[in-house]
Amino acid sequence: MEQDGKRVTRRKFLETGIGVITGAIAIGLGGTALTSIGAPAITNKREGKWVEAGSASEIADGQFHKVGIVYDAKDGWLEGKVKQLVYVKLNGEEVFALSATCTHLGCNVNFDEQTGNFKCPCHSGVYDATGKNVSGPPPRSLAKLEAKIEDGKLMINTAVKEA
Amino acid sequence: MFGRLVEVFDRRFGFREDFKRNVLDHPVPPRINLTYCFGGITFLLYMLLAATGITMLFFYVPSVDHAFVTVEYITFDLPLGNPIRAIHHWSAQLMIVFVSLHMLRVFVYGAYKNPREFNWVTGVFLFGITLAFGFTGYLLPWDQKAYWATKVGVLMPKSLPAVGPFLSQLLMGGDDLGALTLSRFFAIHVAVLPIFTVIFLAGHF
Ligand code: FES
Repeated sequence: MEQDGKRVTRRKFLETGIGVITGAIAIGLGGTALTSIGAPAITNKREGKWVEAGSASEIADGQFHKVGIVYDAKDGWLEGKVKQLVYVKLNGEEVFALSATCTHLGCNVNFDEQTGNFKCPCHSGVYDATGKNVSGPPPRSLAKLEAKIEDGKLMINTAVKEA
Repeated sequence: MFGRLVEVFDRRFGFREDFKRNVLDHPVPPRINLTYCFGGITFLLYMLLAATGITMLFFYVPSVDHAFVTVEYITFDLPLGNPIRAIHHWSAQLMIVFVSLHMLRVFVYGAYKNPREFNWVTGVFLFGITLAFGFTGYLLPWDQKAYWATKVGVLMPKSLPAVGPFLSQLLMGGDDLGALTLSRFFAIHVAVLPIFTVIFLAGHF
């Protein structure tokens, strides 16, 4: 056999053949394995869904109210319930919703009626009524959630709207 | 770039020459046939088992309340999980077949004789290790078939005189086939046996 003017010996041909076959097996198997290992980075998503959180009349006064939501969540092969506290407030037609989870280490913040601020009991973090962190250790504002009123029911979306 | 890197390491370790001499230019008898491939096929299957096994190790959880769900997860939810588990399953079956054929071939050809006695001795150990891999791996999916088949297996040594009952309890990690059995079978399957395989393989080649 001639190739680039050089003779290709049978030995060389076989060596290359072995290399190609070995390489193909390695790439096929390695690719499959790495795809599986990497896939959960994309497929294991926390999906937002609408959950009912009581009736609309409970928040009709336009003040902040603390509501608890419980929903099913899937994490890989685990299926469990997630409990979350949310502050909701009616702004005309719109519902304003803030996650009660402190952005510092995850305690639940309390609404302080006197100052109109949220206070964290753990390390005295303070957020204003829009959820913005104003003092103490919290690094970010409270997470905003989507919320709406539908057929007289208060609905909250579990996905974070704005972190 | 990659070629240069290989060059640098090769100058220090000379592995290219070794590889050429021991693998590509390895002298073989004048009249060989396909039965001489059984050992190599067994080794290829072992490599497939190692690669797919390590992949599943990322997802499998060896506990009685999670083993089955994680195997289900690998099979039905994980992208490409099903082919990976299938390759592991079928390579395992085929490895038993080919290791037996390989042993039979060596025996029939008298290839175990001087100067190859140690290839035979290490080979017998490797055969035992392969069977142990099969036995311990069978339990891990923790389904009905796995449980009851292993139940039969671990009760077999019980009929041995004197040490029998103890041996069987040692395998199960107690009086019942349960949580401890699963963890010890898992440890043996993914850590103990692979180490011994590598040691004996080094002597076998
Ligand atoms: S957890 Fe809220 S301030 Fe530390």
